[in-house]
Amino acid sequence: MLREVTLGQYYPVDSVIHRLDPRVKLLGTVLFLISLFIVKSWIMYGVAALALAILIKISNVPFRFMTRGLKSIVILLLISVSFNLFLTPGEVLVQFWILKITREGLHIALMMGARLILLVLGSSLMTLTTTPNQLTDGLEKGLGVLKKVGVPVHEISMMMSIALRFIPILIEETDKIMKAQQARGADFESGNLLQRAKAMVPILVPLFISAFRRANDLAMAMEARCYHGGEGRTKMKPLRYAARDRIAYTLMFLYLGLSVVSRFVALPF
Amino acid sequence: MKIIDALHLAYDYIRTDENDKVVEKTRALDNINLSIEAGSFVCVLGHNGSGKSTLAKLINGLNLPSEGTMLVSGRDTKDEKEIWNIRKETGMVFQNPDNQIIASVVEEDVGFGPENIGVPTDEIWTRVNRALEAVDMVPYRMKSPNRLSGGQKQRVAIAGTMAMLPKTIVLDEPTAMLDPSGRKEVIETIRELNQKMGVTIILITHYMEETVDADRIIVMDGGKVVMDGAPREVFCHVEELKAIHMDVPEVTELAWKLQKAGMPVPDAVLTREELVACLQCCLPKQVDFEPNFVKKKPAHMDITDPVIRVRNLSHVYQKGTAMESYALKDVSFEIQRGSIVGFIGHTGSGKSTLTQHLNGLLKATEGTIEVKFRDDTDFRKPRKDQSAKTRKAAQAADAAALVSPDGFLNIYAPDFNMKELRFKVGLVFQYPEYQLFEVDVITDVMFGPKNQGVPEAEARKRAEEALRMVGLGEAFWQKSPFELSGGQKRRVAIAGVLAMRPEVLILDEPTAGLDPAGRDDLFHQIQLLHKQSGMTIVLVSHSMDDVARYTEQVIVLDHGELRMSGTPEEIFKRYLELEEMGLGAPQMTYLIHELKDVGIRFKDRPDTVDEMCAAIVDLWKRYTKSLAGKQPVKTAHDSRTAADGSPAQDGQIKPVAAALQDSREEAGKEDGVC
Repeated sequence: MLREVTLGQYYPVDSVIHRLDPRVKLLGTVLFLISLFIVKSWIMYGVAALALAILIKISNVPFRFMTRGLKSIVILLLISVSFNLFLTPGEVLVQFWILKITREGLHIALMMGARLILLVLGSSLMTLTTTPNQLTDGLEKGLGVLKKVGVPVHEISMMMSIALRFIPILIEETDKIMKAQQARGADFESGNLLQRAKAMVPILVPLFISAFRRANDLAMAMEARCYHGGEGRTKMKPLRYAARDRIAYTLMFLYLGLSVVSRFVALPF
Repeated sequence: MKIIDALHLAYDYIRTDENDKVVEKTRALDNINLSIEAGSFVCVLGHNGSGKSTLAKLINGLNLPSEGTMLVSGRDTKDEKEIWNIRKETGMVFQNPDNQIIASVVEEDVGFGPENIGVPTDEIWTRVNRALEAVDMVPYRMKSPNRLSGGQKQRVAIAGTMAMLPKTIVLDEPTAMLDPSGRKEVIETIRELNQKMGVTIILITHYMEETVDADRIIVMDGGKVVMDGAPREVFCHVEELKAIHMDVPEVTELAWKLQKAGMPVPDAVLTREELVACLQCCLPKQVDFEPNFVKKKPAHMDITDPVIRVRNLSHVYQKGTAMESYALKDVSFEIQRGSIVGFIGHTGSGKSTLTQHLNGLLKATEGTIEVKFRDDTDFRKPRKDQSAKTRKAAQAADAAALVSPDGFLNIYAPDFNMKELRFKVGLVFQYPEYQLFEVDVITDVMFGPKNQGVPEAEARKRAEEALRMVGLGEAFWQKSPFELSGGQKRRVAIAGVLAMRPEVLILDEPTAGLDPAGRDDLFHQIQLLHKQSGMTIVLVSHSMDDVARYTEQVIVLDHGELRMSGTPEEIFKRYLELEEMGLGAPQMTYLIHELKDVGIRFKDRPDTVDEMCAAIVDLWKRYTKSLAGKQPVKTAHDSRTAADGSPAQDGQIKPVAAALQDSREEAGKEDGVC
């Protein structure tokens, strides 16, 4: 059952967004996040939300998948919103015991909340429309410049894609070893922290040994298939920019420009 | 044309200490001289440690010879400039399907090799398409390898080498971790590559059935080539093969045993057709010549004293969602005390899930399991462990739910202590050696008893006893489990469960991945254990031959449902149904049916080689005696013509060798030759 777990949260449908080059999506996400921190006006938040809504609509990913990402940050969201809400000094609107809500606090809290929600939705859109493999490919190619300063970009991305392939296998293996030790009466649930940590030894030792064995096997299999680093390697699915990618880039920079300009223009809200 | 040439090849495994000083030198290969023809299908046999995997790694330069030369298409593997050309030409497939697939999508993995050698993108796509077609995996190209079966994963691995357009593929035990249907898939695929695309195949294997169609068999022992020739030449030497702990195909073994008993059977019979053709000539076909062979009835089948009673057990994954799927569906059976029970089913049939229910690791969604053990351990949960909630629940259901009127304990009663059950029903998982973790063997085995709360000294005593039970003497106790051989490690793991003194021992595929000698050893030990302790043993397996040989009761699972239950005899009678489930039957069952088709009948059904041999020899002896008494040739001949309708010859029985010659010429045709 654990093998069914797919890493990342890729949602397999076809759309323009799915077909975009991963580099575009990566940079786009980064620019979107930057823009959220640049803008100060509610109008611009509205523009950002609208843009995101349009993108989500185009991506064909159901909206409830988007909100899944939000569930994990609900607590973070509540904490940061309430801190800002109650602890910002200024003109008091409501006073309740020692808690007071100020006009400035309300403003900052709402803005913070909107910012966080848009941030999570924006990055969810990227992970939902890009496979982990495309992501690593995009990173390898996109960060290719760093190779010149000695960063082993190819090696890092190869490590990432191997990790992506083996994490589900190792999760399943952990489950198997855990059951096997439970069958020998091991108890992982009771006891204090130290006892519990000690109880992990019978799981971790076999798991590490198995991981090393797998690494050894895999290295041999890769060598047998002529792997010798990134040098002289071709790509089965090379990243090439298409017309849609250029259009996407143009739109992205227009949007970023708009955000920057909005800071220097007096907007009503 | 020679494609691979080994000249005086030797290889040493060298162990060094921290200062690079040689501590130990083991010679894995010793003066090997071999040459392999392009386009041939070569099998390499040998027990574990005989040097066959080392040889495989030398062929494509993963290891370099310590002495001598290895030439691949005339290129020396020691030549660094040529190494990538050699590896390109010599693909390699390994044993573990999971550890050789690199990418997370099938087609990308197939493309990995061509990417490495700098093939242009368009060309990669054509190669990937062709390779996937060659192994018949096109429909799975976009799938994640994690969702494929073992056989499919190995086919992906083969496609991965095919995409490099190799001249040779070396396969190092590619089927050792697969179930029978996966094994068949892989062997058929490589045979096709050999025949249709002319790829040279070097197949390293433990399964003798896979070698019968090879052009050549190389047998290795102690780092040397000890036999080399066509299958028929190699399998002539049954005794020599057995001396180096090798198996021969069951049919060959039977023929050899019959020959030893004095019957006119030729050397090196490889297929059932040959044996049937040959037996046709010397066995009677009248109905009144039924063999005296009576199969021994297992003693436990008549008494009903179940130790475990399973009733309407179901296990549903993700109940109530769209992904709802049954791992087990309404399964009911009993396991008799002191018997050996076999669970069979292909991968995913639910047999492993079922075993995990029997010792409480998994909880059924519906149905019950009841147990009754010899000693009356208190299975009630200790009161202090119970939270207020469970105590309340326990009071409500109370003892009535725990103990049934006939003395069985319901393991799903709220008051039942699941942890205690795990000690009573010992479960040895598949590849149990992977769960060893302690610094020495004895401490590892003591892990179970210590968890039971047994004092140190007693735990040690139990561990020692358990280790002796699996045949590991004092010499092993202080060793690290990681320096033992595969078979020994597995025994340590089994001892780890035995040390808890279970009344029922469940072994999930205990011999998976072992070589024939290790497998026979382990089964022998299990049988001995059963005899000495009277322990109930559940054997989970997909090997029909093992189940036929060792069990008294068989339970067949298919897609989570119990499809058959009974003695091996009753089960194998329905071999056609078993085939439908993708399971097949023991070789001997097939032989019985093929003999029946030519008129030789058996009343009772021998399932193992020894039983079969005894039955046939007995039949033959009585028949020849009666031949000597009167003149039965005529009647025998009459009934034969009546039985198989072959054109009557003039009543003479051809010499057996000639008959066999005929049958080989008319390969495939099964009509009477004699």
